[in-house]
Amino acid sequence: MVVAFVRLKLRLTANALRGQGWRVALFVIGVLLGIGFAVGGYLGFAAPGLLDDARAARLVLTLAGAGIVLSWLFLPLVFFGVDESLDPARFALLPLTRRTLISGLFAAALVGVPAVATLVATFGMVDTAARLGGLGAGLVELVGVGLGLLLCVAVSRSVISAFATALRSRRARDMATVLLAMLAALLGPLQLLVLAGAAQADWDRVADVAAVVSWTPLGAPYSMGMEVADGRAWAVPVKLVIVLAAIGGLLWWWSATLERAMLGTASAGHSGGAARAGTPVSQLVFRWLPRTRFGALTAREARYWWRESRRRAGLVTFAVVGIFLPAALSLTGDSGGGMLLLIGPLAAVSLANQLGYDGSAYAANVVAGVPGRVELQSRVAGYAIFMVPLLVVIAIVVGVFDGHPAEIPSRLGTLAAAFGAGLAVVLPVSVRAAYALPDTANPFALSSGGGTAKGLLTFVSLLATVVGTIPIVVAAYLLGDAWLWIGLPVGLAYGIGGYLLGAYIGGDLLDHRMPEVLAAVTPNR
Amino acid sequence: MWLRGLVKRFEANVAVTGVDLDVPAGSFYGLLGPNGAGKTTTLSMAVGLLRPDAGQARVLGYDVWSDPAAAKKLLGVLPDGVRMFDRLSGAELLAYHGLLRGMDAPVVDQRARELLDVLELGTQNRTLVVDYSAGMKKKIGLACALLHGPRLLVLDEPFEAVDPVSAALIRDILQRYVSGGGTVVFSSHVMEVVERLCSHVAIMAAGAIRLHGTLASVRGERSLEDVFVQVVGGRTATGSELAWL
Repeated sequence: MVVAFVRLKLRLTANALRGQGWRVALFVIGVLLGIGFAVGGYLGFAAPGLLDDARAARLVLTLAGAGIVLSWLFLPLVFFGVDESLDPARFALLPLTRRTLISGLFAAALVGVPAVATLVATFGMVDTAARLGGLGAGLVELVGVGLGLLLCVAVSRSVISAFATALRSRRARDMATVLLAMLAALLGPLQLLVLAGAAQADWDRVADVAAVVSWTPLGAPYSMGMEVADGRAWAVPVKLVIVLAAIGGLLWWWSATLERAMLGTASAGHSGGAARAGTPVSQLVFRWLPRTRFGALTAREARYWWRESRRRAGLVTFAVVGIFLPAALSLTGDSGGGMLLLIGPLAAVSLANQLGYDGSAYAANVVAGVPGRVELQSRVAGYAIFMVPLLVVIAIVVGVFDGHPAEIPSRLGTLAAAFGAGLAVVLPVSVRAAYALPDTANPFALSSGGGTAKGLLTFVSLLATVVGTIPIVVAAYLLGDAWLWIGLPVGLAYGIGGYLLGAYIGGDLLDHRMPEVLAAVTPNR
Repeated sequence: MWLRGLVKRFEANVAVTGVDLDVPAGSFYGLLGPNGAGKTTTLSMAVGLLRPDAGQARVLGYDVWSDPAAAKKLLGVLPDGVRMFDRLSGAELLAYHGLLRGMDAPVVDQRARELLDVLELGTQNRTLVVDYSAGMKKKIGLACALLHGPRLLVLDEPFEAVDPVSAALIRDILQRYVSGGGTVVFSSHVMEVVERLCSHVAIMAAGAIRLHGTLASVRGERSLEDVFVQVVGGRTATGSELAWL
């Protein structure tokens, strides 16, 4: 039975790749990245053993191991989206016991690039343990590493399932999405604070932390081998119990939430709402927008950024990251100013799959024959309604936290330039490389299989944007103090130029590719 | 609507193998076919939603693929299995479609109100379209297709999942539209509706038109259902199979 699930997963992955050249290419890149992570991780974890440094081994194995478990929990939520290719709701009608379903889905989740890469990387820990503590320690660590992988998968599956279930009803989901996105986005800045603290603390305190973590389920599986090496074999069975109990508990929790996940959306149709006066057009289009095609598109886009939970989650995540990350950085002593160069492109990258958000609804615009340039310009305008005030706030916050209020205008210029350069890259990309998002109620489901590959596309556009911002950085550096005065106008001009270029190229592309784009963003066709 | 040699391949299989179809202006044309016959694919290619691998499509003389702007202006489309911008309320969605078509705001307001009223969707209803029932979604989709006063309406499965009351209402509206000089093409696999409404029918199977003409010439002396089953090549139960039922 379990084999059937694994084969289904492999078959789905293979079918998704069939006859789609670029998907195969992205998949291959994903696999290469996985191999890179596996090899790099292996070397990193094996290093303490090779250097014969037992203290470092204790620290690295425990803390990095805990880090791996945590990243299994948060990375899918924040960056890659959940792989929904085996959506439990699709098994609802089959006569499967809960036990079969759980073990099947669990086994299927183990099959995949991330799981294999994690396993190979953590084999480096076995290497270290064997070198420092002999064969016995190595074998114990091997068991620990295996259990660690199970723990990783169990954590990510069960927590995601629980979130997905809690968020099934549309209203609840919309609210919870915002909170979750905020929480997830806060992790980065928090981590920075912790790191800053760690930089000041001495190694003995870190060792204390590691010792504590090694007794939690997070660090327990990975620290078993070193316990043997240190001659505390009695700790192994205790840690085994801790880990197994954690895995068991998580699986139990997962199976409990799975039942509800299988029932699907309980659509709580709220009726009516307060009747707002006004004609249909004035209900749609804001008062200050022109009552034209452009106005309608812009207004719809702006409403969608707020009303659609996936987009709103992105918006909120960005707001939190954009404000807190530079602020946290400047608190730790570094200059937050450099971060602006990353935040501008990050703001633009949200549009990299803007047409994908629409899904098949984009057909309405195709049937109406909206010119490509109007389409892209209005989408940017709708997004800018949220983004421009946010960017201004970010520039001010960073300036104030940095203690350089005088630099606020020039930083705003830098931000505008970076945002515009981002648009220049992202608008054509959004037309050329649009992809379908799954038609599910789960706001975190951003990709259907091959998620790593699509995340990669975003990353590449981000990189290209950063490259596009280099001229402004160079100018700011060369001009020195003069930049304080001309930074704002020059940055704005650069940004607007980038935006116009992007809209020009992208609009032209879109005019020639409308049906193809529609086919690309329509799920499961 | 004038279609010549439309072909569409999806990866390995050919969905539509050369469709020729003439829809006379002012006709009420029913496109019949079993599931998977290629009805949706054909109509998508005819209205500019799906690029054909070969062939031509013209709407009232304008080529859909070489002169899309002119053709799309005269065209109203209700696609099937396609989402709408459903995070808008019904009124907002209509306003969006109207402005998208380049209409003046006062005209949009007036027509949108009328359509919402006639289709019993409520002019002051603030429910988002995503929370509408299936029948209401079809009705608001039809309203969007009608709003700009097209000369040709292309409807894909307009009666699917619609309750009898709404179906009767949609039928009335479509009949009025045709008697006012408009042309309607719609796909369906419900014989009764087609027999009741259409002046012309075409039967499609396995990606090709098998039989077409006026309703009377296609039907002859038999019922449309018999003709359909015969043309499509379905089997009739003899009673010997599935004996365990």
